[in-house]
Amino acid sequence: MKNVTLTINGKKHDLALEGHETLLEVLRNQLGLTGTKTACEESECGTCTVQINGKAELSCIKLACDAQGEDILTIEGLADGDNLHPVQQAYLDYGAVQCGFCIPGMIMSTKALLERKPEPSQEEIEYALDGNICRCAGYPKIFDAVRKAGEVMKQGWQQAARPDEKNESRPDMEKITCGITYEEYVKTLNAGKTAEAADQ
Amino acid sequence: MSTSFNASQAKTNLDPVGKSVPRIDGKGIVTGQTKYVFDVSFPNMLIGKMIRSSHPHARILKIDTSKAEQLPGVKAVITAKDTYNIKYGSNEYFFPHTVDQMALESEKVRYIGDEIGAVAAVDEETALEALKLIDIQYEVLPSVTDPLEAMKPGAPLIHEAMNNIGVILPVNFGNPDRALKESYLVREDKFYASAAAMAALEPHVCVGQWETFTNKITLYSSSQAPFKCREALAKTLKMDLNDVRVIKLAVGGGFGGKLEMLPMDFASCLLSKKAGGLPVKICYNREEEFSFSRRKHGMYYTLKSGVTKDGTLTAITGEVIADGGAYCSYGPTVMAAAIMRTFMVYKIQNFRISGYRVYTNTPIAGAMRGFGGVQSGWAIESHMDLLAKDLGLDPVEFRMRNITTPNMITVNKMHLTTNGLKECIEKATEAAEWKKKRGNASYYKEGVWRRGIGIGIAADVMGSKMYKSHESAGSIIKIEEDGSVYLFTGAADTGQGSNTALSQIAAHSLGVKYERIKCKSGDTETTPFDTGSFASRVTFISGNATLRAGKDAKMQILDIVAQEHKMKIEDLDIVAEQVITRKDNKVLMSFDEALNLCYSFNYGKQIIGRGSYNPKTTPIDFRTGEGNVSGSYGFEAQIAEVEVNIETGEVRIVKMWDAHDIGKAINPQSVEAQIEGSLAMGIGYTFYEDLKFRNGRVVNANFANYRLPRSIGTPEMHTILIETNDPEGPFGAKGMGEASLLPTSAAIANAIDDAVGIRIKDLPITPAKVIKALQEKNEQAKQEVSEK
Amino acid sequence: MLLKPLTYHAPTSLMEASKLFTELEDVKILAGGTFLLNSLKLLKRKGSKTPNHVISLRHVPELEGVTLENDHLIIRAMTRINDLFDSDLLTDNFSVLKTVCRNISTNPIRNMATVGGNLTCRYTWTEMGAVMIALDADMHFIGADGTDTGMKAEDFFKNAAKTDKIFSHVSIARDKNAKIAYRRVKKTLHVDVPLLAVCVKANFRNNHFSNTRVTVNNGIAFAQRDTVLEEFLNKSKCSVSAAEEAMDHLDTKIYDTRSDDYKKHMFRVSLKSAIKELAETSGS
Repeated sequence: MKNVTLTINGKKHDLALEGHETLLEVLRNQLGLTGTKTACEESECGTCTVQINGKAELSCIKLACDAQGEDILTIEGLADGDNLHPVQQAYLDYGAVQCGFCIPGMIMSTKALLERKPEPSQEEIEYALDGNICRCAGYPKIFDAVRKAGEVMKQGWQQAARPDEKNESRPDMEKITCGITYEEYVKTLNAGKTAEAADQ
Repeated sequence: MSTSFNASQAKTNLDPVGKSVPRIDGKGIVTGQTKYVFDVSFPNMLIGKMIRSSHPHARILKIDTSKAEQLPGVKAVITAKDTYNIKYGSNEYFFPHTVDQMALESEKVRYIGDEIGAVAAVDEETALEALKLIDIQYEVLPSVTDPLEAMKPGAPLIHEAMNNIGVILPVNFGNPDRALKESYLVREDKFYASAAAMAALEPHVCVGQWETFTNKITLYSSSQAPFKCREALAKTLKMDLNDVRVIKLAVGGGFGGKLEMLPMDFASCLLSKKAGGLPVKICYNREEEFSFSRRKHGMYYTLKSGVTKDGTLTAITGEVIADGGAYCSYGPTVMAAAIMRTFMVYKIQNFRISGYRVYTNTPIAGAMRGFGGVQSGWAIESHMDLLAKDLGLDPVEFRMRNITTPNMITVNKMHLTTNGLKECIEKATEAAEWKKKRGNASYYKEGVWRRGIGIGIAADVMGSKMYKSHESAGSIIKIEEDGSVYLFTGAADTGQGSNTALSQIAAHSLGVKYERIKCKSGDTETTPFDTGSFASRVTFISGNATLRAGKDAKMQILDIVAQEHKMKIEDLDIVAEQVITRKDNKVLMSFDEALNLCYSFNYGKQIIGRGSYNPKTTPIDFRTGEGNVSGSYGFEAQIAEVEVNIETGEVRIVKMWDAHDIGKAINPQSVEAQIEGSLAMGIGYTFYEDLKFRNGRVVNANFANYRLPRSIGTPEMHTILIETNDPEGPFGAKGMGEASLLPTSAAIANAIDDAVGIRIKDLPITPAKVIKALQEKNEQAKQEVSEK
Repeated sequence: MLLKPLTYHAPTSLMEASKLFTELEDVKILAGGTFLLNSLKLLKRKGSKTPNHVISLRHVPELEGVTLENDHLIIRAMTRINDLFDSDLLTDNFSVLKTVCRNISTNPIRNMATVGGNLTCRYTWTEMGAVMIALDADMHFIGADGTDTGMKAEDFFKNAAKTDKIFSHVSIARDKNAKIAYRRVKKTLHVDVPLLAVCVKANFRNNHFSNTRVTVNNGIAFAQRDTVLEEFLNKSKCSVSAAEEAMDHLDTKIYDTRSDDYKKHMFRVSLKSAIKELAETSGS
C-alpha cells in the first residue's frame, strides 16, 4: 500500500492505494464522485473525461498513482454553489442536455477547449469533442452551447461570488390572507348563540 | 436553426407551453449530481452476474451450482429450479403464443448468452470466480443463424413455431394482382436493412431488494417502462402488483432496449431474497450490452409495385422477412409497423405484403427506435424514388401525387386527422432549394466530388395498443400549501425531456408559472400507471392525462372561489397566475390568494388533481391488417444533400433538412433536439452501424468496432417545425422522437443516386459498396458503348 | 477493479528508470498509458497473466520536450501527441508530423498518449512508425549504465526486437529539400483505427524524384518500406503521369496480402494521390 495524495477539485485527498486503481475507480468508488461515468471498457466513449492540469483526459486509463501532483478537476468541481460555470449554463440554455449520461465528460472536454481557445472554429470544436460519444443529441445543440459558452468566457468570466438571489418562485404565503380567520369564526358562533337566545 | 433560451434572463415562465424553457432536471445533470441507477450503491450491496449459455442452441441436461455456492463471498446462486418457471413476453394480450421467454431457462437455451441462472457475491471478482465454478452439461443442438435458412423445411426448430416463423402478418387489401397487370409500369426491388444496436450510453443496470419480513420487492432499474417491468415481475414471481415497486431514476438513454423486463431484473430480486434481503446490483458491461440485451431486426424487404403513366401508385406488393433472434420480444408490433407505415404516407387501395418474423439462434431483436419503420422507410422510400426515375418524374412530384391527405381514412382504417405531409414536403424542398439542385449535373462537380440531393418522407404514430387492452396514462397534480406543485406521472423520461414537457403542460393547464412545478416520474408505487416511453406516445397520451389533471385541480380551486364569492364556476378561469372572470378578464385575486382560500380555516380543502387518458384506438387486427392504432399521426419530410467522392467512395453529408408536423411544439428546443438526435442515429445506421454475427455471437461488441456518429462529420441540420394543431393532442401537440430516423437512409441513398447514378440497396452504405457500384456502372456503360 | 494488482514505480530520473527496468522481472513501461491500460484491462477480462510491475515515466524530466539541436528535431519519449501537434518547430520536412498527429485516435487520447508509447508499444496500427521511417529518424535507447544506443527507425520496426533499454528520443535531420505526402484512410467514415496509411517522401534532382522513401501501414505487419516503388520513383521524371505509371511498380505483397478489393483499391488511390502531390509541389 502506498500513501498517495490527490488534489481533486481543489481539495487534497490522502488515500492508501495498492497501485492498480484507476483514477475513475478512486473518484467513483472511494470518493463518491459519481458525476464521472464509464460506458465502455476501452477508452472509446469519453464519459470518464476529467480535466487534468487543464487538459481533457480519460480517467479510465489513468492510474490513480500517476495522477499524484496533478490538478484534477471533475464535473462536481465546476459550479460555485448555485452559480453554474458558463459551460454548464450554456449546455442548459441551448438544449444540449438530453439523457445526460455523456454530459459530464462532454462539459469537461468543452471547458478544456474553451480555456485554451474561447473562439474555436467549427473544426477545432469537432476535433476537441471527438472523444465524447453522445447518442441522444446528434451534436448540433452541443456545438451551439460550446460557441455560446466561449463567448461568455472570452469576456473574462470569473467564478466570483454573486449576491444571494431571492427565490422568486416561492410566494410569501404568510402575507396572504383569504377566507375568514378563527376570530371571525368564533364571532359567527357567538352571533348564532345570541340569535338563539334572542329566539327563546 | 436553433432556438435558444437564456435561463438567467427570465426567471419566471407564464404560459410555458410553446416556450423553450430549460430542462426541469437539467441542473443536476450538468453538475454531475443526478443519480442514475448506474450510480446507485447501498451498504452491504452484493454484485450479481448472470449465468449464461455458451452455445447458440442446446438442451440443458444438468446444472451443478454446488461448488459456486461454497465459494467464500458468494451469498446466493439461483437457477430455474428457484423459480415458478412462468413464461413472460411483451405482447401477451394480443399474441399469447409469443409469450416464449422464461426469466431463467431450464430446458433449452436458444442463443449465446441465454440466461440460465445468476450468482450474487460480495464483489465482482468473487461473482466472476463463482461463474467459472458453475458446471453445466449441455446436449448441443444444431443451430441456425440466418433467417432465410431458418425458414427452410428441415431447419433446426428453435421454439415450437413451424419453420421458425414466430409471427406471420399477411396484409391484403383490394386486388393487387389485377392492379399490377393493368399498370403502365411495374418494378421489383429487393432491399436489406441491417441489424443495429441501441447503444445507449448507460448500460442495462438494476438493483433489486427483497424485503424479507414483508415480502415486498423494490427494484431500481434503468427502464423506459417501469410498469411493464413491474407487471412481468409480478407475473413471474406470483406477487401482487402492490408488493412490487419498480423505480426508474434518471435514465441514460433507452432507444427501445429498456422497454421490458430482462432476466437481470428478475434475477436481482430473487438473488436478494435468497441472500436474506441484501440488495443486489447487476450491471452490464459494454460487451454484454451489445451481446445480451436487445437489438434491431435485420430485414429482407422485397417490393413489387405498379404505377400509372402519370405517376399514381396502383398497387404495392411484397414480402418482409425479419430476423427476430431467439425470442419474440416486441416482434409482432415491429412487424406491424414495418408494413403499416406505408398506409400513413401513401394513398393505396391495392396492397399485399406478407411479413414473417423468424426465430434464429442469435441475440434477441426487440423494439429499437423506429419499431420496424426504419427498415420499411429504407425500402419504401428507395423504391418510390426508383419508380419515379423509371417514369422520368421528379421524386417530389411523384410523392405529391400519392401522399395521404388530412381527414382521410386509409384502406386499413387508420383515421388520419391533422396531416401536414404536403406542407412538410413543400417547406423542406423550398428550404433546400430542391428545384435548383435536383438532377442538375452542373450544380456541383469539383475534381472527384459530385453533389446530389434526395428526399424521404415518413409518418409516425403516437402510441399503439401493444401488450395490454389499454395504453392509458395517468397524472396526479398535488398542490402544496405554499403554492409549490407536484406533478406525479408514470411517464418515463429517458432523456427526451418528457418531465419538462409534462411540467409545462401541467403549469399551463393549471394556469400557473412553470417554476412552481416539480415532477416525479416512473415510480410504480407513487405515480399513476403509464405504459412507458415508446412509439413517441408520451407527449400525446401522458400529455393529455396531465392536461386533464391540471384542469381538474383548477376546477377544484375555482369551486372554492366560486363558493366564497357567490359566483358561477363557469364564469371563472385561472390564467397566468391570476383568477379572472372569463367575460371581461377582470382579475379577482392571485393564484396564491385562491390557494390560501382553499387551505383556509373555513374550507380546508387539499387540492389534488387527477387525470387519465386512453386514446380511442384499435389494435392491429393481425388477420386483416386493419386498425386505427393511434389517436393521431405525425408526419415529416427529410432532404439530404450529399457529396460523393468517386475515387474513394466516401459520402459526405453537406446538409440535411427535416420538416416535421408535430401538431404543436410544447418545447421547441426539445423538439429540435430530438429531431437532430434521431437524424444522427439515422445517419449512423446508414453509414457506420452494423451489428455483425458469427455463429450466433456478436463479433463487434464494443465501440471500437461498432461505430457511432461523433462530433466530426456531423452535418448541418435544418429543422422546420410545422404546427397543424391537432384537435386531440394536448394544446394541439402530437408526439415525436422516432420519425426523424425513418426516411434518413433512403433520403441519403436517393441523394447518392442523384449525384453519381448508383443505387445501393443494402445497408450500411460503405465506401467499398459505393466504389464497387461505380465500377459496375462504368463497366456497364463501356459495354453499352461497345455494343452500339 | 478494472486491473489486476500491480506495483507502481515512479522514478524521477532516466538512470533510475533504466535501472529499475533491467532489475525488475515482469515489468512494463507506463508512458501515456493509452495502450497499456487497455491491454491490462483486456488481459484481466480474459483471465490472462498481467505484469507485476509498472514503471511510470511521468516524473522523468529527461524525457520531456521537443527541441531543435544541430538542426535536428529531437522529440523526447514522453511528448504528448497534442503537444507535438502544437509545437512551433514542425517546419520543412517535419511538418508532416502535424498531419499525422491530427488524425491519431481521439482528443483526450491525444492529450495522454506519447510519441514514445506510440513508437514502442508493438501494435501494428501505430501511426508514428511509418512517418519516422519516411523521415529516416534515429531512435535512441538508454541502457542501465546510461549508454545511448541509436538505431534507425526502419531497423527497429524490421527487427521487431524486444529491448531491455528505455526508449529516450527520436532525432530527425532537417531536410529543406524534401517533400512528404501522407495519406490515411479510415475504416468507416470516422476517426478510428485506420484501414491503411502511406507516407511518400522524396527529394528532387534534375526534375526527377530522388532519395524516395515509401512507408506503409497495412495493419498486418509493422510499418515497412516499399523498395520496389522507391526504385521506380528514383528513376522517374517528377511528373503527375508518374503517379499512374507507378501503379505497375508496386511491391504488391504489402498491399494485397489479406486485403479485400476496397483496401487494394484505396492503397492505389492513396499512393497515386501522394505521388501526384509531390509532383505538383516539387517546384516550390
